[in-house]
Amino acid sequence: MQSNEFDGNAAFSGGGFMPSQATQTTPDRPSSASKNSDARCLLPLTVKQLVDLSRGGESDISIEGVDVNNIVLVGKVSKIDNAVSECTFRVDDGTGWVECTKWVHEHLDSVEVDAISVGMYVRVYGQLKSIHSRRTVHTFSIRPVTDYNEITNHFIECIYVHFYNTKMRGCINTQPGMTNSVSGMTAQPQVANSNFGDPGKGYSYEANQTSQYNNDEEQIRALSSMVLQYLRQPACIAFEMGVSSVVVARELNISVDKVRQTLDFLASEGLVYTTTDDYFKFTDA
Amino acid sequence: MDISSPAAFANGGLLRMHVGRKVRTVLQVTRSDIASVIGKSTDGYQLVAKGSPHVPPTSFVEVIGVAENENTIRAELWTNFGDTFDASSYDQLCQLANGEFKHLFL
Repeated sequence: MQSNEFDGNAAFSGGGFMPSQATQTTPDRPSSASKNSDARCLLPLTVKQLVDLSRGGESDISIEGVDVNNIVLVGKVSKIDNAVSECTFRVDDGTGWVECTKWVHEHLDSVEVDAISVGMYVRVYGQLKSIHSRRTVHTFSIRPVTDYNEITNHFIECIYVHFYNTKMRGCINTQPGMTNSVSGMTAQPQVANSNFGDPGKGYSYEANQTSQYNNDEEQIRALSSMVLQYLRQPACIAFEMGVSSVVVARELNISVDKVRQTLDFLASEGLVYTTTDDYFKFTDA
Repeated sequence: MDISSPAAFANGGLLRMHVGRKVRTVLQVTRSDIASVIGKSTDGYQLVAKGSPHVPPTSFVEVIGVAENENTIRAELWTNFGDTFDASSYDQLCQLANGEFKHLFL
């Protein structure tokens, strides 16, 4: 008697221990050791971060310059769809929701999915899949959260890993073609750092050169440097509420629109942050 | 996949930034009655969560709902977080999630 329910590909892909078979949408990459190790890393992410992924096509998903393969999410189950050989959970982590599908082939899989109910917080380990531009998480493991400090811990981990990938690793993303907000966070820090390594030189260099900039990227760098130098002054740091963009514009003699644009860019880099509407503070690292 | 209706991390001091929007916060319950739960936020403010949890609240409860004003939330979802919870770490997370790492959440 044949087991007509058994699907070899799905069984192996459900286990997730054989990435080249599991990721049917990810082609084998001829790769250096570093690419292999990147592809094997496990990233804690928020659903917002998943949505912000660069759109390199179905099989080429990366975030902050690191190839995303395996991810961890922690969120609340808001919906469960139970089919014969799979169970789909809608997991909402507060930043958004994503559907996580767990294949059920063995008794252990059934035990695992039966333990989950709607309203429960869960930790999901899985692999992001993008099929016909619909992103779901192919789930290896889903388990209830029992100690709710795990929720705090997960989000702090997301922040730490983001910070590590965008700042501490320097410029990971060297792909010139990426121009969306995610690439902005990874590509720009190298540029910004080279200006800020020597503040005095950076400031005077930008002040002398502003009139000669004739393309947008150089102008953004120049303005960013000036605005950041201004906000780094002890007098500005001393203001708990931060400094309003209008004041910055007035002090630096730049238009308010340009200052706001620059401050938005610096905020996306994590170099400044908003305290209340239109007030900004240097991120005192 | 959908991020159209996020709930912002909030404590007592940050709730005013999100009035009218969906928020999430953890309260240490001080009093609960039929129509509301009153508790202390992770930064020490007294907040009111309007509504009624389906089960009696434990010492710590997560409330997800719409901020009506700077100290009231109209609760939609309740989750009991038990009797031991690290409120100070959660508070730090609220600061980070509303500050320089806001783009990872909202």
